[in-house]
Amino acid sequence: MNRSIRGCLLATGVSLAAMVSMAPSVFAQEAVIVLASNEVGQPMYNPIKGTLLNTANSMIYDRLVAQDAERGYHPHLAESWEEAEDGMAWTFKLKQGVTFHNGEPFNAQTIVDWIPLFEGSENAYLVAAIEKVEKLDEHTVRFVMKHPDPNMLYNLASAFMGVPEPKAFVALGDDFGVTEAVGTGPYRMESFDIGLETVLVRNEDYTWGTPLAENTGPAKFERLTFREIAEDSTAYLELRTGGVDVLLSVPSDFLPEVKQEDDLKLLTIQGRELTYMVMNVTKEPFTDINVRQAAALAINQQEILDNIYNGVGLAADTFLISALPEAKIADEHRISYDPDKANALLEEAGWKMGPDGVRMKDGKPLEVALWTQSDSTFRRLTEVVQAQLKAVGISGQISTFDSAMIRDQYKSGEQQMAVRSYIWDNADIVDWFFGADRLGYPNISMFVDPKAEELRAAAMTGSKSSAERVANFTAYHEYVLSQFPVSPIYQPVIGLGYNTTRVSLPDSINAPDINSTVLIDMAPAE
Amino acid sequence: MKVGTFDTRSGAIARALATPKGVIAGGWLFLVVFVAIFAPYLTPYDYDIQNLPNAFAPPSAAHWLGTDEFGRDLLTRIMYGARTSLSVSSVAIGISVFCGMCLGAAAGFFGGWFDRAVTVAVDLTWSFPEILVALILVAIMGPGVTGTMIAIGVAYLAQFTRLTRAQIMAIKSETFVEASRSLGAGHGYILFRHLLPNALTPVIVAAMLATGDAIILEATLGFFGLGAQPPTPSWGALMSSGTAQLFKAPWIIILPGVAVAVTVFAINLFGDALVRALDVRAGLREA
Repeated sequence: MNRSIRGCLLATGVSLAAMVSMAPSVFAQEAVIVLASNEVGQPMYNPIKGTLLNTANSMIYDRLVAQDAERGYHPHLAESWEEAEDGMAWTFKLKQGVTFHNGEPFNAQTIVDWIPLFEGSENAYLVAAIEKVEKLDEHTVRFVMKHPDPNMLYNLASAFMGVPEPKAFVALGDDFGVTEAVGTGPYRMESFDIGLETVLVRNEDYTWGTPLAENTGPAKFERLTFREIAEDSTAYLELRTGGVDVLLSVPSDFLPEVKQEDDLKLLTIQGRELTYMVMNVTKEPFTDINVRQAAALAINQQEILDNIYNGVGLAADTFLISALPEAKIADEHRISYDPDKANALLEEAGWKMGPDGVRMKDGKPLEVALWTQSDSTFRRLTEVVQAQLKAVGISGQISTFDSAMIRDQYKSGEQQMAVRSYIWDNADIVDWFFGADRLGYPNISMFVDPKAEELRAAAMTGSKSSAERVANFTAYHEYVLSQFPVSPIYQPVIGLGYNTTRVSLPDSINAPDINSTVLIDMAPAE
Repeated sequence: MKVGTFDTRSGAIARALATPKGVIAGGWLFLVVFVAIFAPYLTPYDYDIQNLPNAFAPPSAAHWLGTDEFGRDLLTRIMYGARTSLSVSSVAIGISVFCGMCLGAAAGFFGGWFDRAVTVAVDLTWSFPEILVALILVAIMGPGVTGTMIAIGVAYLAQFTRLTRAQIMAIKSETFVEASRSLGAGHGYILFRHLLPNALTPVIVAAMLATGDAIILEATLGFFGLGAQPPTPSWGALMSSGTAQLFKAPWIIILPGVAVAVTVFAINLFGDALVRALDVRAGLREA
């Protein structure tokens, strides 16, 4: 009896010891990653139809072209490419041996079938310059252009041009990217709970990763869970307490704390995000350009940078991130804090200061609805904006909306003013947010202007070279700013934070943002 | 005769205040109400003027409870927050009591299809937690103080409707009601002169206790950003803003939380003392 008890105890002890020794490797096969709060609420993993794509999207779909940190272009699914001298054709040689998650081969026919799928979608502008796609051989295609498109490689490198499997895309219809997502990426979609989490499992056949990464495949983690946590402080607490392994975007408030923690590490890169305040030009009092300009000049970007973001990042004075050449505009078009001018403009517009510090005109107070997202960083920023507006006599009434719902609210066109941000590193974001054919969302400002539309057309389709495109977009950008539908606020850095006891990553990031080029190198910590 | 006439009720408050529980709880509640009413005269700071360079200052002689993330005096924000929390919860419970008593009294007195309809509607509402009802209503009406008041008011409506209906049904067959009716009194006279005054005592006690719950509900809605909108302070919103600063400035979340906890505890304690003073249970037994 005693012997059998001892035997049992010994066996249990040995088993426990074995389990304990195995635990790190077993557990390490899965990593839990928190998406950035501004990526929360993506309704589908559909690069063709989606207007919001999160980082997990790049793990499912590969692109023809990859970008490095300096925004240079490198082969990915396309091995090489060549542009015709007149810009009217692009020839791409495709990588061989690539297969989709459903076993279908990736080849020239894929591209021929894929490009027309954009027709009628929100993202059709990405391929609008392509007249047709010709299959030259099994792994070579040519884009015949309607007009030269100096932005072609950028478009092909964007998340919205991740390549889905065309047959599955057609067969699944609206369910594509919701119930099933088929790409060639290093991970397959196992499950997707909208607004909660996405579980990806490793594509064991993957060997065609971009040369920008150390690992070209397969990925080192078996499973990745991407969680959506709208509240920044909750996300940080999850990282700190070990509930998750990686935060793709550490909130600025917590950057110093992540740096201080022994088992946490921070990787930073120049951000692609820009925070701004937007005004609806069709709603009183913002139908008056003087009021718009006054509100724009009331925003003290430097104070916000210093006090809300601990001086990390840049104060923004244009609508584009400073790394872009189109952001280098004439000083007269830059929007910077000038309270004296703001007050003078409001006086000129007939808004006189009332006894309670709110301006009045015809017996009506200068009160506006100020919309923002419900997560703490946006709420905090918006409260400062509210105080800065109040300093020139504009009373902003804050309304907070769920991060996942606010885009639908914008579509109503009822907004007067909102504080928000975008993530993009191409000047065509001006077209996206101020194009007259996208009123409500993404054109939250409801900005429709004939001259702007002319400049927009020239910038989007009238450029024959990169230099001409830069010049056209600079002019378009300057004109939009001169109409004050927007006030730029802040340009953050991206801080990726991770738990060093669970995850290891290279010390530097050779990508313009956090995407599959970065995450495929992520490995279980030793 | 029933318990709970106006004379016995006013005496009951004095009796409640004569107990140790009652005096402690009553003292705290008096302090909170006093601070809420006279906040502008009790603090040298404005609740909404930001001083960003002074953000996250720890408690000091100048700022007894420190400052928040915008450099505003936290004690001032808590004092003004009391104003929001008490006014929202009081008005909300006022709405519940008034509407609940009207509905419950009519249902209990007249019976028939109206009673059945009210009972079904109330049971339906009763089957959902108050927080869920309030969240749905605020989502429909939009965030803000008015929406919060109505939402909390509707959330607690079922409680007072049921209570009043039960009281009216118990009292309406009493002999003094029969006597009044035989003397020619009409429905309105009987309802307002005899039934409602006699049904009021348990409703008062329930309202007292529900006010504590309403403060928590208001704080919860405020925590989710659905209550009073910035810069108007409320205890829930103060706690919510404190979550982001939990490590940097823990006082921002802890102190408003303490204010909520102590006030709700005091309300419950005072309600308990009031129950004993009114001898409501004895009254209910008699009914």
